[in-house]
Amino acid sequence: MSATTTPPRPRRRTPRERAGAPLLLGHGRLPRVLAGTALVVLAAVWLLPFVWAIATSVQSEQDVSAPGLSPFKGAFTLDAYQRILDRGDVPVWAFNSLLIAGLVTVVTVAVSTLAAYGFSRGTFRGRRALLAVTVAAVMVPPQLLIVPLFRQMLLFDLVDTYAAVILPQVVAPMMVFVLKRFFDGVPRELEEAARIDGASEFRVLWSVVLPLSRPIVAAVAIFVFIGAWNNFLWPFIVTNDPDLMTLPVGLATVRDSHGVQYVSGMASALLAALPLIVVFLFFQRRIVDSVATTGLGGS
Amino acid sequence: MTTTAPPGTGPRTGPDTPRADGSRRTRRQRSPGAPRSGLVFVLPFLLLFVLFLVWPVVQGLWMSFTDSSLALRDTAFVGFDNYAEAFGDPDVWSSLGNTLFFTAVTSVPLVLVALAMALLVHSGIAGQWAWRLAFFAPYLLPVTVVTLIWSWLYQPDLGFANQLLAALGMGPVGWLADESVAMWSIAALTVWWTAGFNFLLYLAALQSLPTTFDEAAALDGAGAWRRLWSITLPQLRRTTALVAMLQILASLKVFDQIYILTKGGPGGSTRPVLEYVYDVGFTGYRLGYASAVSYLFFALIVVVSLVQLRLFRRED
Amino acid sequence: MTARSPAPAPPARSATGPGLTRRRLLGTGLAGAGALLAAGALSGCASPASASGASALKVWDLFQGGDGLLMDEMIEAVAGGDRGFDVDRTILDWGPSYYTKLAMSAAGGRAPDVAVLHLSRLAGYAPGGLLAPFDLDLLAEFGVTQDDFTPAVWARTRYDGTVYAIPLDIHPFIVFYDKDAAGTAGLLDSSGELAPMGSPQALLDAGRALAAATGHAGIVFGHVNDPAQNWRLFAALYAQTGAAFTLPDGGPAGLDTDAAIRVVSFLRQLFDGRTNPDNLDYYAGLTMFSSGRGGMAMLGEWELPTLRKSGIPLGAAPFPQVFDRPAVYTDSHSFVLPHQDDPDPARRREAHRYVAEIIKQSLTWASAGHIPAYQPVLAKPEYAALTPQSSYADAGKAAVLDPPNWFTGAGSNFQSRMCQPLQSALLGHTTPEKAVRRMVREADALLRQPDPVA
Repeated sequence: MSATTTPPRPRRRTPRERAGAPLLLGHGRLPRVLAGTALVVLAAVWLLPFVWAIATSVQSEQDVSAPGLSPFKGAFTLDAYQRILDRGDVPVWAFNSLLIAGLVTVVTVAVSTLAAYGFSRGTFRGRRALLAVTVAAVMVPPQLLIVPLFRQMLLFDLVDTYAAVILPQVVAPMMVFVLKRFFDGVPRELEEAARIDGASEFRVLWSVVLPLSRPIVAAVAIFVFIGAWNNFLWPFIVTNDPDLMTLPVGLATVRDSHGVQYVSGMASALLAALPLIVVFLFFQRRIVDSVATTGLGGS
Repeated sequence: MTTTAPPGTGPRTGPDTPRADGSRRTRRQRSPGAPRSGLVFVLPFLLLFVLFLVWPVVQGLWMSFTDSSLALRDTAFVGFDNYAEAFGDPDVWSSLGNTLFFTAVTSVPLVLVALAMALLVHSGIAGQWAWRLAFFAPYLLPVTVVTLIWSWLYQPDLGFANQLLAALGMGPVGWLADESVAMWSIAALTVWWTAGFNFLLYLAALQSLPTTFDEAAALDGAGAWRRLWSITLPQLRRTTALVAMLQILASLKVFDQIYILTKGGPGGSTRPVLEYVYDVGFTGYRLGYASAVSYLFFALIVVVSLVQLRLFRRED
Repeated sequence: MTARSPAPAPPARSATGPGLTRRRLLGTGLAGAGALLAAGALSGCASPASASGASALKVWDLFQGGDGLLMDEMIEAVAGGDRGFDVDRTILDWGPSYYTKLAMSAAGGRAPDVAVLHLSRLAGYAPGGLLAPFDLDLLAEFGVTQDDFTPAVWARTRYDGTVYAIPLDIHPFIVFYDKDAAGTAGLLDSSGELAPMGSPQALLDAGRALAAATGHAGIVFGHVNDPAQNWRLFAALYAQTGAAFTLPDGGPAGLDTDAAIRVVSFLRQLFDGRTNPDNLDYYAGLTMFSSGRGGMAMLGEWELPTLRKSGIPLGAAPFPQVFDRPAVYTDSHSFVLPHQDDPDPARRREAHRYVAEIIKQSLTWASAGHIPAYQPVLAKPEYAALTPQSSYADAGKAAVLDPPNWFTGAGSNFQSRMCQPLQSALLGHTTPEKAVRRMVREADALLRQPDPVA
């Protein structure tokens, strides 16, 4: 979409800086005040669950069980966080999430980039047919494959292994399609020069095409990573051993001997939310671009 | 990004010219590991694609004609028995109904709320990154974090929702316990969780809109409201169609938050069809029957996709 | 990521302008949070829970709250010492989610070494090859034999003549009562225990007398939207009529409809919505009784710790006999060995020893209200001294479990499907006749499904 191919990439200006932006509200006071109010109310509603959860997480179980609308009902304490970190499974699940999402991202990006390049530049027989099958496969929701995939993992004897969690997630026809469309638009003059210099096709991809494609590859990587980090259904189906579970699966499946505790629940939820929120704060622009470019399949 | 593509197949004639010499061999000598055909680049993907997408699609179809079981025993072919059973199974229909209801009550607000967010943020009010963070942050949360937070908000005694009602002098509501309320509660949570994604799509679309019409209209003295309805929204038609299409398909596949929060209850009132697949296939061991239900649902998704594509084409 | 190229990189990284200050601000603010998480990851590796590593015995159960803490205590008791166990305990949600995970892990072949299973679920696990049989010689070596259990319970541990489960407890559906209210209502015998009922009319009268004594409700029973309560109550009373509920493979279900209608009509009469409320859910029923607004509650004994905390003068008794013979709905938590593809004989041996050792700890378990299945514990004077547990120790003798079939048992679809028509009848939405006919239809529908474990 807006991902440019020409380095250096100009910083996209925020709408506030754009010449046309003030026009949207005109110069009257009223629309501006109304829009501002609506925005603040909407954002407040959106932030409220976070506020309530954070406030709950820094109190004691006894204090939050007092009725009342105030989020702070007792003394400040980080006991719940300490308890969760001591219990040790949240960090184990965080590690699993990171490992699994990381590997899924690396393999998906590598495999999809190669395939997209092959589809874009290749001349092999059946290229069009294969591409058509790949595009059609975008329509197959992975959620509908859980039963045969589980059966397949039983057959391969992979249930309760990292491999079983990762492998089905690396097939991303949509990402192949997005990358292929981008590669189609990369000018070929440089490649020809490299080929004449005797570079292998792989070398051409690596040294000529990829450097020009960094924004789109980053976008795909981010998109895949967020998807894998937050994926629930398949990891939930194929892992039963708590030591192999990801954060969302572990938190949803494994219980504490104490039973339901709201303060601990909020603290573990917030710990699990933290990594990606932090990443977002640092790479907001890239992540926003990633969603914008890949979210609609690059159209 | 396709706009930057060189027109047509022009550049492709370039790489193809050496082949006119007929010197396939020389090219091989030049790059031994990678024949120009490019097939080798596609092979890793192809292998994984066949193993983990094509195989399960075919295997699932085959399983739907068998009595395949989670228990460790042999499998027998049963013809169309599973499909016949599924058509007569009231739980298939009620769970399909729940899925469609959820799709209806989430898709509309998820498009409209996201559009409103994007328009408001795009209006240029200061603090862009803060607004983006507020609206998009929930989307970055794993589903279990969302359900943990909302099950606390919906908690019958102490949760925020009922405390708020109490403060307003109203009686408590069984947000997740009342059959007539539970699905709405889950829909509300879903809107909160995923609206940020559509919001970003809209925001990107707004930022790439040409401003010339807007400026011209402003010069003609058209008010903000008027320009929104007559210029901006019509310009967003294509984006809206795409967002709505993706949203409907995403909502149809609901499972995670419902399974974690209510396990489909109370009284099956929130059970989506995907959970029914899980329930009969894994809880009930009947993988074959679950495959048949999956395929019926798959057929529905294909129909919805095709109808959408057709509508979308007509829009264009 | 993989696209890091040797070519000169475009200078897109340099963040300038307002972004920098923001990033710096966030950076300092969040460094602390990051450090916290990292510290957690490190301390997590050092914590005893995960330090147990691969050698630890993996055990699964579904005990939370009071039961969960008692199980911790029992594990701690057997884990100490030279011959102690290294135990990696996992707790999953009670009900279908636990049983689904257990079956999937057994099918996958990397199951935990020991898991808890309701005996009523055995018919869904043993025939499908999802469990490994116990080695009775090995158990005997660790001091546990068939003679340590009552024949009625032992019979339910076997499938096809092989023992697949070792019971930990018997947990009946009983009645708790407020001793003061029951005394005022004249329902106690000379020793201060609940006197026998003996007829439907006696229980109806008791409800009225208790309602008068408390000034609120007589007998409370929380059942709305609950997937088991109605079935527990019905199954007990139906068995008391002497009729049998059978579920032969392929159907049809064998239910004595006259007896069933008699039971449901009686329940409708008992929970009339005035003397005894008819519209409580589980939690509301519990709260009503524990706050002194009900004279008697029909509940599982596992609610004992919760009720004890409420401070009401608590009495307990086996479910009263109101029809022709005594019968109490029960289930039993037992230990099983889930199927593993390549079980390590040494680990299997340890698993047997672990089960034997835990069962010997069941006096601790009894404090939560459960009746120990291991008879030597039951015979101890310490157990006799437990009140009100000893008041219903005999409840196991008239035990009624679910009719065995792959789809029945605790937390099963069968129970929740039986509950729905019963709930409608209790709420007056349907007649007892229609409710019973629907129960038969539901059971037949379940029986018509191809059996996935045979």
